[in-house]
Amino acid sequence: MSSTTTAITLDAVSKSFGELVAVRELDLDVRRGEFFSIIGPSGCGKTTTLRMVAGFEDPTSGTILVGGRDVTRIRPYHRSVNTVFQSYALFPHLDVWENVAFGLREARRPRAEIATRVQEAIKLVQLEGREHSRPSQLSGGQQQRVALARAIVNRPDVLLLDEPLGALDLKLRAELQTQLKDLHRAVGITFCYVTHDQGEAFSMSDRVAVMNAGVLEQVGAPEEVYRRPQTGFVADFVGASNRLRGRILAADGEGRYRASIDGVGERRVSGAGGLAQGAAVVVVVRPEDLELSVTPAEPGGIAATVVDVAFLGAQRTVRLESPAVGALVASTSGGARSVERGSAVGVTFRDEHSWAVPVAV
Amino acid sequence: MNIRRHPIGAVLSALVIAFLWLPLVVVFIGSFDTNSLLTSWTGATGHWYSQAVNDPNVRAGFETTLVIAVLSSLLSLAIALTGALWWRRAPGRARLIYDGLVYSRIVVPEVVFASALFFLFLKLHFTLGLPAIVIGHAVLNSAYATLILQARLIGLDPALEEAAADLGATPWRAFRRVTLIALMPAIIAAGLLAFTFSLDDVVTSYFLQGTSQSPLPIVLLGMIRFRITPEINAVGVFVMLLTVALLSLAVTVLSTAGRLGRSSRRSRLVSLYER
Repeated sequence: MSSTTTAITLDAVSKSFGELVAVRELDLDVRRGEFFSIIGPSGCGKTTTLRMVAGFEDPTSGTILVGGRDVTRIRPYHRSVNTVFQSYALFPHLDVWENVAFGLREARRPRAEIATRVQEAIKLVQLEGREHSRPSQLSGGQQQRVALARAIVNRPDVLLLDEPLGALDLKLRAELQTQLKDLHRAVGITFCYVTHDQGEAFSMSDRVAVMNAGVLEQVGAPEEVYRRPQTGFVADFVGASNRLRGRILAADGEGRYRASIDGVGERRVSGAGGLAQGAAVVVVVRPEDLELSVTPAEPGGIAATVVDVAFLGAQRTVRLESPAVGALVASTSGGARSVERGSAVGVTFRDEHSWAVPVAV
Repeated sequence: MNIRRHPIGAVLSALVIAFLWLPLVVVFIGSFDTNSLLTSWTGATGHWYSQAVNDPNVRAGFETTLVIAVLSSLLSLAIALTGALWWRRAPGRARLIYDGLVYSRIVVPEVVFASALFFLFLKLHFTLGLPAIVIGHAVLNSAYATLILQARLIGLDPALEEAAADLGATPWRAFRRVTLIALMPAIIAAGLLAFTFSLDDVVTSYFLQGTSQSPLPIVLLGMIRFRITPEINAVGVFVMLLTVALLSLAVTVLSTAGRLGRSSRRSRLVSLYER
């Protein structure tokens, strides 16, 4: 990818802390102007990756480019990258205005320019009138917005966000997610966002990267990652899923297979590319793709018993137990014929809703 | 019956308080006594205060004490600040050793350190006197200063300095604009504490003074040996007031420091009014 379209390039980047390998041979391109998220469970290396881009950690090996420039050995204060920290890290002894002006003062911008840009940034995050408050006088959400303004006022090539909504309550998070998305559109800076919350990442990002144990598992648009996970880990991490064990019988062309699923029988399935005949696979079916019928004898159906029904407003989550395939989860949009705890049902799914991924080795 | 309300408890408390504070009261009263032998109360006078102020011995002692206290508290701060900043980022084992060295300076009896320094200076042919006392005081008082600075550093979010670097501040600029400002209340408090401890030190000063002018506490000791007069009481009251003033200043600065970052100057004022 050329430097005019790439904001961040990681080339075979690894980071070890003594014996522990935090990031292993990571290759990643973040496009200019996109909202990019790195998701994964805690300890997967996503924050370490972000800290290497910011310059707080030196990679053990590999190269990091920001805006086409090799910054691998460049100190953080010489990088055109700004960070929104998880703890916000606002300077307690400075008021909102001075916090936002910090970077411009360090860059020795003219006084008049600092004044206009700081005012602009404060307006952008809707904190007008709070210029002379100390961080401690602000609510969590307001502090978070000061941290944002303090970073974007410098017009960096890339804005790094390390779980910036982690400390806020649910309602505020949803609100700030919308604001972040709008802000991204307004300033046109590349956002690189780290979170363990896949829902948050999916709702805001153009593309997401899923990491696990220091390894990049998959990069793609949220829908693609959700619908076509390349590994069992991704399938699991990006949302509830039913996992059925099986084996590939034959490949029917690109991403199309015939598979034998334990307890279900022979089915046509889609799946990750390059699965060989005889390969052990997990067939993933999303809860919303399972169909329940009260007539258990339906052909091709899995006989199961309802263990629990949870009402969640627009839909219900039904937990099932099947003698043939084990535990299942289905979500139904609470129709008239709702199932009850203890009732016997037949579970079916369509071929196009099944997705085969290789069994992790 | 509640043991805290029992009359015996009240009497005991009164006795303990009297035991602790009566000597100071006696010194205070004695400093105004017209009877120069302090054998009985014969009337009040401010004469002893003016005599103390005009006593060349007392004046020289007080000046020496002040010079030593200023220099040794500055030296203590330099040692404590550089040490604590290193300690903050040091590996675990090194930190443990450093902590041990700090605590040992507090726990080991002062007379051990004083005599050790005495023999060390003799071996090195370092002339005893004012510089030796300054070093001696700094060896001990820097330990207390270190504890205060460490306590403040533990509460300092390392992300603050990263944020400064992220915003383009070089390490030196980040230190000046963020770390040093955050540490300032602790630095002031630690300096005042070291100053106060130096002010009333006898043991180390006695070992290391050589033939130079003695600091005030040792001057007082010499006067007592010769004759007990109300003048000594007057000097005692004066030193007492100075020490109390400095220590309360240190405590005030430290307790405001605890709230710095969580409340602004304005809300601190508000909370003062509300109290």
